Amino acid sequence: MSQVLRAKWLPLLAATVVAGIVLGIETKSFGASFNVYVILQTAAFDAVVGLAQMVVLAVGDMSLAVGGIGGLVTIAIGNAVDVHHWPVGAAVLAGLVLGTICGVVNGVVIARTQLSGFIVTLATGSAFTGIAYGVTSAIPYSSVPSSIVSLSQGRASFFPYLLLVAFGATALVGAALRWLPDGRSVLAVGGNRDAATLSGLSRSRALVVAHGSSGLLAGVAAVMYMGVLQSATPATGTDWLIISFAVPIIGGTALTGGEASSVGGLIAAVVLATINDALIVLNVNTNAVEMAEGLLILAAVLAGQVGRLAGLQGRAHETGRPGSRRRRAAGAAAGGAGLDPVAR
Amino acid sequence: MTSTTSEPSTTRAHGAGPPGRDGTRPAVVRRGIVGRLASGQSSVVGLVLLTIVTWTIFGTVGSGFLTSFNLYSIGQLAARDAVLGMAQAILVVMARMNLAVGSVGAICVSLLGYMLVDAHIPLVLAIVVVVVAGVLASLLMGVVELKTGLSSFIVTLAFLSAYGGGALLLTRNANYEITSSVLGRLGSGTLVSAAICPLVAVAVVCGVVVWLVYNKTAVGWKMLAVGANERAARASGVDTSRVLLAGYAISGLLCAVAALMEASYELNVNASLGTNWLLPSFIAVVLGGVALAGGDITVAGILLAAVFYDSLQSGLTILNVPSYWLDLAEGLVLLAAVVADQMRRRRRSRVRRARRARLALGGASPA
Repeated sequence: MSQVLRAKWLPLLAATVVAGIVLGIETKSFGASFNVYVILQTAAFDAVVGLAQMVVLAVGDMSLAVGGIGGLVTIAIGNAVDVHHWPVGAAVLAGLVLGTICGVVNGVVIARTQLSGFIVTLATGSAFTGIAYGVTSAIPYSSVPSSIVSLSQGRASFFPYLLLVAFGATALVGAALRWLPDGRSVLAVGGNRDAATLSGLSRSRALVVAHGSSGLLAGVAAVMYMGVLQSATPATGTDWLIISFAVPIIGGTALTGGEASSVGGLIAAVVLATINDALIVLNVNTNAVEMAEGLLILAAVLAGQVGRLAGLQGRAHETGRPGSRRRRAAGAAAGGAGLDPVAR
Repeated sequence: MTSTTSEPSTTRAHGAGPPGRDGTRPAVVRRGIVGRLASGQSSVVGLVLLTIVTWTIFGTVGSGFLTSFNLYSIGQLAARDAVLGMAQAILVVMARMNLAVGSVGAICVSLLGYMLVDAHIPLVLAIVVVVVAGVLASLLMGVVELKTGLSSFIVTLAFLSAYGGGALLLTRNANYEITSSVLGRLGSGTLVSAAICPLVAVAVVCGVVVWLVYNKTAVGWKMLAVGANERAARASGVDTSRVLLAGYAISGLLCAVAALMEASYELNVNASLGTNWLLPSFIAVVLGGVALAGGDITVAGILLAAVFYDSLQSGLTILNVPSYWLDLAEGLVLLAAVVADQMRRRRRSRVRRARRARLALGGASPA
């Protein structure tokens, strides 16, 4: 319980709930069950995209290719169903396998070259997007299988079925990171690369596992998106970058690696989707949403840091040492020197 | 690994102070040249060769590649990419990155459009305001990085969406039709020969200025020092915060210039300009041989990388490769460049280690 109270996303969630109640009373449309369904549907999708980034952040790396993989998987499924008339199940399975392979390729290249994930996935992400555009000549496949659509659009009153997918993915990722040997070694390598390698864990394996699962999750997100949009377009994923970072960061996942909060991500997704929807209900320009996301990222990281600094300062005070030096060190550790994506 | 790659520039940075202030640094100069040869020049030679090979292949296989019209458009695009690459390189040199190059560009172009089309402000004044805005927008990111201690990645990621969204929001997605004949002549006129766009001169001037900053000014050397080893730089009395802010300011200035350049040949602009600047900016940096770990820059490399990259794009278009595949080509070029660069750096550090080992043996044997 105390852990929940200390969670970084708690103030944000509280503010969102209060704002939601106020909006629900003030405007008729916001509280309507269809609107809540739309919010939760968006949140479910955002959560899975966030998970795809979170598993990579956990290993102390990052992936700019989440969107690229999403686009490629979308096209692969669309192509298999539309052109080659594959059964839906087989097409989706093949798409997910393709997504995983793309992720594994990222992981292998990063592990072999010792380059940062930033620059490698910037390159591969663009390549994946390029393939998606090249194969389709930028023309979307419009016949998305009805089973995918009915899953993505299905709901029980205000509760979208997609949220179940997000719950499942969140639970699986959380459990894998906590209990599976590979998941634990992802966190160990992310927390302290040298210590982990010295104690016999393979960094390469952890990188491949993290990027591979990221690819799989990007594939899942692509299937969800396809159903919501009812179209398999190669433009899928081109705007996933910010959301993929916003969700885990606001949810309290450290950029430095070694920790991950999958539940926090889920809540951050709900918060983001609510803000998004509130701005639309209030007739604010949709571009404001994009701006708000950026500022929220900063605010969330800062809030997390302030919390950490407060903790450190308190300890410094106890030992009678001046806090300023420690504070600077903490600032550096919390994001300054810690995340140095290009410099490896 | 980091220590070996940044060694040449560390020595340069330790030559310290504004170069030319004292005449007593022959040793440093010599090591500097060796260091430069080892880190930069090889990529320059490689890029020249690559560009010649590309031009020969596309010149023979594709029709119309070596026409002055095509060379003109290569120069036009390469000029902007080179400036973009330098805007990125300024921060990469300091072991940082700028994801918001495109969004700063969007702010600049929105302002330009508003001032020229809606407010009828004279061109010169508008350009000054745009450049100042670019510098300030970039400086703000630097201030946020300093005040919060967050990494440049997260700060510029946040500003990528804040500035991008903000620019679209304030302009309401308006399209601005720029009618200024001076800008038009800059972007689509000719210089000396029909094959040269005046923008090429702009890029070269920017390149010379950036080269001078890094080779002839104290702040440039300090930026290299911060990139090579920030803690050491601070310990040796460099005011790292000021140096960092100077870097952000110069980067913002170059973003503004790039935005003006693109506006000068597109003429019909809106706030979505810059959404695809990130990849070319990094391609120019990596292909140009700038170390991603910081502490090192090759201005000539960046300029040549832009020329090579845009020649490749243009060649593929001439060979009738559908434009949809060009994203793939971009990604593969960047991937090949980083992997090749990494292999080269590794080989060099291996050679250096071997030489050091041999020296150590040689020194030991007479005793």
